[in-house]
Amino acid sequence: MKKWSAKFSIFTALTLITTVLVLLPFSNLFFNLFNKANDVWIHIRTFLLFDYIKNTVLLLVLTGIFSGLIGFFSAYVVTFYEFKYKKLLSWLLILPLALPSYIAAFIYADMFSYTGSFARLLRAVGIHHNFDMMSLLGAAVIFSFTLYPYVYMLVKAGLKKHNQTLTDSAKLLKASPFKRFRTLTLPLSRPALIGGILLVLLETLNDYGVVRYFGVRVFSYAIFDAWFRLGDLSSAIRLSAIVVIFVFIIVIIEKAFRGKKSYNILKGHKPLRLKHPTKTGRIIIYFFLISILLIGFFIPTIEMIFNLFTINFTLFSVDLIYTILNTLIISITATLIIIVIALAIANFGRFAKSKLAKGIVKLTTLGYSIPGAVIAVSVLLFFTKVDGFLYPLYELFDKDTKTLVLTTSLVMLTFAYVLRFLTIGFNTIDASYEKIGTTYTEASYTLQKSKLKTLFLVDIPLIKSGLIAAFIIVFIDIVKELPLTLILRPSNYNTLATTVFIYARDEMIQEASAPALILIIITVIPIYILTHQKRGKNHVR
Amino acid sequence: MKKIFSFVLLVSIVTLLSGCALGSSSSDHVITIYSDRHYDTDQAIYDTFEAETGIAVNVVKASADELINRLQTEGEDTEADLLMIADAGRLHKAKEAGLFQAVSSDTLVTNIPDNYRDSDNLWFGLTKRARVLVYHPDRVSVSELSTYEDLADPKWEGRIVVRSSANIYNQSLVASLIELNGEEPVETWISHLTSNFARDPEGNDRDQAKAVMAGEADIAIMNTYYMGKMANSADSYEVDVANDLAIFFPNQDTTGTHINVSGAGVTAYSDNVEDAIALIEYLSGEAAQFEFANANYEYPVNPAVEPSELLQSWGSFTEQQISLTQLGLHSNAAAIIMDEQGWK
Repeated sequence: MKKWSAKFSIFTALTLITTVLVLLPFSNLFFNLFNKANDVWIHIRTFLLFDYIKNTVLLLVLTGIFSGLIGFFSAYVVTFYEFKYKKLLSWLLILPLALPSYIAAFIYADMFSYTGSFARLLRAVGIHHNFDMMSLLGAAVIFSFTLYPYVYMLVKAGLKKHNQTLTDSAKLLKASPFKRFRTLTLPLSRPALIGGILLVLLETLNDYGVVRYFGVRVFSYAIFDAWFRLGDLSSAIRLSAIVVIFVFIIVIIEKAFRGKKSYNILKGHKPLRLKHPTKTGRIIIYFFLISILLIGFFIPTIEMIFNLFTINFTLFSVDLIYTILNTLIISITATLIIIVIALAIANFGRFAKSKLAKGIVKLTTLGYSIPGAVIAVSVLLFFTKVDGFLYPLYELFDKDTKTLVLTTSLVMLTFAYVLRFLTIGFNTIDASYEKIGTTYTEASYTLQKSKLKTLFLVDIPLIKSGLIAAFIIVFIDIVKELPLTLILRPSNYNTLATTVFIYARDEMIQEASAPALILIIITVIPIYILTHQKRGKNHVR
Repeated sequence: MKKIFSFVLLVSIVTLLSGCALGSSSSDHVITIYSDRHYDTDQAIYDTFEAETGIAVNVVKASADELINRLQTEGEDTEADLLMIADAGRLHKAKEAGLFQAVSSDTLVTNIPDNYRDSDNLWFGLTKRARVLVYHPDRVSVSELSTYEDLADPKWEGRIVVRSSANIYNQSLVASLIELNGEEPVETWISHLTSNFARDPEGNDRDQAKAVMAGEADIAIMNTYYMGKMANSADSYEVDVANDLAIFFPNQDTTGTHINVSGAGVTAYSDNVEDAIALIEYLSGEAAQFEFANANYEYPVNPAVEPSELLQSWGSFTEQQISLTQLGLHSNAAAIIMDEQGWK
């Protein structure tokens, strides 16, 4: 076995190239830190930094608690209780993933504003109270209701492994329902719960659309504010470095909370005996689940459909069709590149034994924890340097060439997508590899089949469903992506996400509705396929 | 399936490498304008310009800060011949960054009053907006209102809304007051003004008017442009807001109401200077100015053109008589003072 891993293969080559390409932009960031502090930075540090830190912590704590509660209890209810329409509800609960947080923010801000439908409804029934949606609390609520599916999916998958035998034993020992919940259910699902909350928090840190629109001064707002308003890239870089420290703290806290205890769950367990709720219980369950769905998905979607009718908006203008094509083409391309690289890294990683190799795999896939604002700054700096470096080469082809060939092309944006979403593709593919083990692949190598042949003839057929899942998850994320696309796109290149954001920024919420709805349709379809493909018992993710 | 797949892949790669966004047009005689204006009116004016001169206008749209940043990154490589953005402070920022080149044109000098042009002829104001007070007539009587400076008076405690200090129009308003009153008085003014805020600044200009309508505050500091937008909104409830609230032009007996402009300049590395100047001249001419005024609720800079009926119905007023170049000079100081005095 040593023979194969020691040999330099295409997988190793791709992994190492990726590692270098991932590390270069970030190293740039790091070295800029040692420049002397300028006036803008001193200004930020004196008057703004404290606010940024306070708001970021507050937003993360609130969003973590809310999304954790919503995600955990919805997963708990659909796992342990039997009620009508459970199947339907348990997949609908994933739908808010299709609704980008920033779209929910635009729509709710509009509905809660004085002329909005919700505020008018309240006034009609005599309530003259203004709910301040455009605030830190409002942002936390928006994030919680649109991102809780991460918690829901992970916890649900965790709870499914629950063993009826354990519950029965606990019952025999006369443990009260609350005690059983506290000492059995909660510890067993804690890793999933904390893991889910981690994803929600990383997404929250990454967001730019919501916080910019609401004017909530957190870090991704601060980075762009320093860069664009105060015109100081070096301050933006310093702020980025602080965010990266934030991310590491969160990841360490997650590791600590997850705990080292591992629970051996007996194999071949009895299926869960589902509880039948009382009538009141059913009402509470329906009320709970349906409220989540309404707030997290259906109310904003329906509001947007109504918006379409209030303005004379042609649903399919030529511009919009180009925008849709742009979105699909770049999302599919970037996703394919990510899948190929992720496959190579997964192959490299699963035969690697050394700590160094494992470290390389970790480094290469760290992108997802780095907020989009930070990646945007690093990638732009990196590409202007690369273009300067490659300029003599460009001149060979065209004497009057411009310098910034790559920087003004879609290559830069695609690169940034790969940097950020490689983690997700890799994790999904790696999990599939873990399930099949290495035996089949090793057998093929023993039969003198080449690495590539083995990949196509043995590995890919075995992990096909995992690959499809990876493709869909990455695709959805790229379609929804905002900050990177907004900053790194070439002139006049619009995706659905940027179109929606620009309309909203220009105070044209009604006009934003058509592209927003199309974006949602494009993300809902793959989610449906993903959750309904036949993969044995595992229905969700 | 495989065929479709490889086709998609091929198309993707080709688009990716060519780096061209679908839908961009190409013509022989063409100038590129980087614009943060996203109005149909502008496009209509460019179309007429093309019909009259044969010069096609290729518009690249993004926010002003993004465009300035992009021009800086692109340097000599830029395709842009013109940069057209809102706010004199930003125009000045572009000037300081060396993004413009000087233009000498008699037409521009005749069409645009000198305080709405850059002192070195690097940029030219094309449309004006006034930053006014919008109030609820039931809760505020006109006799109570006077100046921007008066908004620091304790009688307005908890009655004023305005958007955040990150908003460039607020920065420029503060910069103009620094020019007129000096830095220290403005510091004191802002520290009192912020204590009169009804809430922490949030939302856009329209949201400020809606807050007054909702009774959260009595006065909003905002641009006339958005009152025009609301008065003609597709949303009838917004029209009600515009109709129920009233506009007051402050500082009429003193320094005049604060004016800001959208303007344009020829980029430093334009390779089509003549056509670019032709477009700015056209935009400052009576035909284009009439379009700006009537379709877009902006005040024309060209004194020969009347504002639209709606704008005239708000009444005529005395404008701040400072050169807008000064707004740019004080804009950093303004941003710093606002942060220091807690204007969020």
